[in-house]
Amino acid sequence: MTAKKLQVLGTGCPKCKKLAENAEAAAKALGIEYTIEKVTDINEIMKFGVMMTPALAVDGQVKVVGKIPDAEAIKAMLQ
Amino acid sequence: MSDCCGNNQSKKAQSSSCCGGGKKRTVLIYACSGGANVGEISDKAARELMFAGEGTMFCLAGLGGDIQGMVQTARDADANLVIDGCPMDCAKKTFDRHGITNYRHIKVTDLGIEKVKGVRGTAEQVSVVMAKAKEILADGK
Repeated sequence: MTAKKLQVLGTGCPKCKKLAENAEAAAKALGIEYTIEKVTDINEIMKFGVMMTPALAVDGQVKVVGKIPDAEAIKAMLQ
Repeated sequence: MSDCCGNNQSKKAQSSSCCGGGKKRTVLIYACSGGANVGEISDKAARELMFAGEGTMFCLAGLGGDIQGMVQTARDADANLVIDGCPMDCAKKTFDRHGITNYRHIKVTDLGIEKVKGVRGTAEQVSVVMAKAKEILADGK
């Protein structure tokens, strides 16, 4: 199974960090292989079509924008 | 682009943008921006609403072009205000095509403004649309 690619889009504020924590917690709870990347460059973030942060992309697909879902909600996005 | 400068966070999903201070509603405004006067009026009204602090104007073309992150942005907004110029409802149909339902809709021609090609919209007409938009947004839905 290929590892899920999690990308947290945001310039590094506490909310972005919280989203990263929740995403990791969700991936661990599901026992899936994953990689996590923090995309902090605004130009890179905008290439996703995201204008509000934090945002979470899974395998290149933006799943949530401007919100911090809890780990339970992120689990659904990873399945 | 809003950068990240948020403060406290709840355990539940937050419904504000990162820079929204944690409580402010995320209201996105889309205009058809079409070629006739009513398209121009929709565009100007959307911009003026943004400058008046009613929300943030976003690119309808991004939805039309299926830019996935922009579609998700509209989906995750607390409210989307969609301003169409005429009964073609192009902006509304763009939202409908993506299955996005959390929007309120205004049609400029429903406000007594006639669609004419090659004529400029007036400031008064823009004000009429803005007033309707503010009325709709005031209920907080």
